[in-house]
Amino acid sequence: MDTIVPYERRPGRGMRELVDMWSNTRMVVLTAMCASLYAAVLIPFMVVPLIPGLTHFRPANALPIVCSFLFGPAAAWGAAFGNLIGDFFTGLGPGDLFGFVANFLYALVPYRLWRACTTADPLPRTLGAWFLLLGIITTASMLCAATVGFGLQLLGFVPFAVLANVVLVNNLVTSALLAPLLLAVLYPRVRRARLLYGDILGAAPRAPRWRRFAGVALVVTGTGLAFVLGNLASGGWLDPSTLAALSRNLRFVVLVLPALALGILGLALL
Amino acid sequence: MALSLYIDRASPLHRRHPVAKLAAMILFFAATFLLDDPVPIAPLTVAVLVATAAAHAFPNLWRLRWIVGPVFVFTLAIWTLFYPAPAGGAAAGTAPWRFGLGMALKLETFLATGLLFLATTTVEEFAFALRSLGVPYRAGFVVTLAFRLVPVFLESALTVVDAQRCRGLDFTRGRVHQRIARYVPVIVPVFIGGLRRADRMAFALEVRGFSSGRRRTGLPRPAANAGDWLLVAVVGAAFVGYVTLWMLGTGRIVPR
Repeated sequence: MDTIVPYERRPGRGMRELVDMWSNTRMVVLTAMCASLYAAVLIPFMVVPLIPGLTHFRPANALPIVCSFLFGPAAAWGAAFGNLIGDFFTGLGPGDLFGFVANFLYALVPYRLWRACTTADPLPRTLGAWFLLLGIITTASMLCAATVGFGLQLLGFVPFAVLANVVLVNNLVTSALLAPLLLAVLYPRVRRARLLYGDILGAAPRAPRWRRFAGVALVVTGTGLAFVLGNLASGGWLDPSTLAALSRNLRFVVLVLPALALGILGLALL
Repeated sequence: MALSLYIDRASPLHRRHPVAKLAAMILFFAATFLLDDPVPIAPLTVAVLVATAAAHAFPNLWRLRWIVGPVFVFTLAIWTLFYPAPAGGAAAGTAPWRFGLGMALKLETFLATGLLFLATTTVEEFAFALRSLGVPYRAGFVVTLAFRLVPVFLESALTVVDAQRCRGLDFTRGRVHQRIARYVPVIVPVFIGGLRRADRMAFALEVRGFSSGRRRTGLPRPAANAGDWLLVAVVGAAFVGYVTLWMLGTGRIVPR
């Protein structure tokens, strides 16, 4: 008999809350809400393709960022499932697996990075908060773009240099414009309703300073490296002779995957 | 906009067990993925089109013609341009456009296969198949619940858009960033309404014992029959054939 133990925050950090949240009914429902809201805003804009069959104009991309600050792990799963549901309206394919992971990371980065950097509310009230918020949005967008670009180049659908840059601009423009506005309006209301993920799951103990510093450094460095190396390798500007014995796809994997793994390792530390 | 690609028909494919359909789709994807020469990929494209006709699912391809058509042209152009010439040799003769054609056929086959699966499988069957393959119940529950909530949110968004238009909000004027910013007064009420709904739903689930830990019961589904095994066997045989071609090094323009 599969027994579901009612939620209580277990000691330890890392990625454990991403699994533990599934035993909290409210977080499960919030996951479904984030997913359906994301899909509901994605679907009407599918008629404006940027790369036919692979990506389209997505003003909904601000929602995973906003939901991440509000609902934490529920938003990460919600973004992944929401993207999958959106794909239900244009056809499933092997690329959707990478879309699932990329959207999961896209909504995982914001709350984890913000929590590591500051204890303040994620509201852009000061110049410093604006810089931090925009930096986090850029990192999240870049990690999402690098992941989906990596996957689809590997599957041979579209070159990384084409897709990753389109996804980055698409994510960045809509999120940088909409997310601060939405957060300013929604965050105080959700906090008053006591529906922030910290209110539902309980406050997580803050990681030691060294760990937060290492985590943030790894996420930012790994993401940036993956994006740059992916572009260079995909465009043919980076082809080290030491890897000449490997097949083309394997060379691409060897160059980009370690950097992506570094970014994800950083997220696990936070 | 219709919110489902499922087409309710009584075709043999509709009657297949969801797990058999999911397994067949994954095997078909894998077979299509292995090679890049258009000659061996074309039979797979034809096979999926025949299956689409048998399942009366062509309306889906027509409905998504704004994707299906451009995908072919775009992929052909982009991969002819980005043709990865083998190391040490320049791109020779017809290889770049043959490679582009192969990639375009491959992507169209993926697209048509996914559409066929969605035309013959309901979201509940999909969640059931996922659960049968070991995905936790709650993940499947989230997929089905979220799928059901999408029309609710869409309807709510349309109501808010109408209400804001009545108040003078114009989405068609101004620069791009101004237009994007005008979505805020639409998203906020939809979001807050969604939160209220989520809160009530969490209570409703709790009082029905969602987290009780008791064994979950469900509608019994028929087990896989001979037709289901036949479907998996046929697609599995095609997969083995394509793996053999791949291992022999045929059917590839660019070596992996």
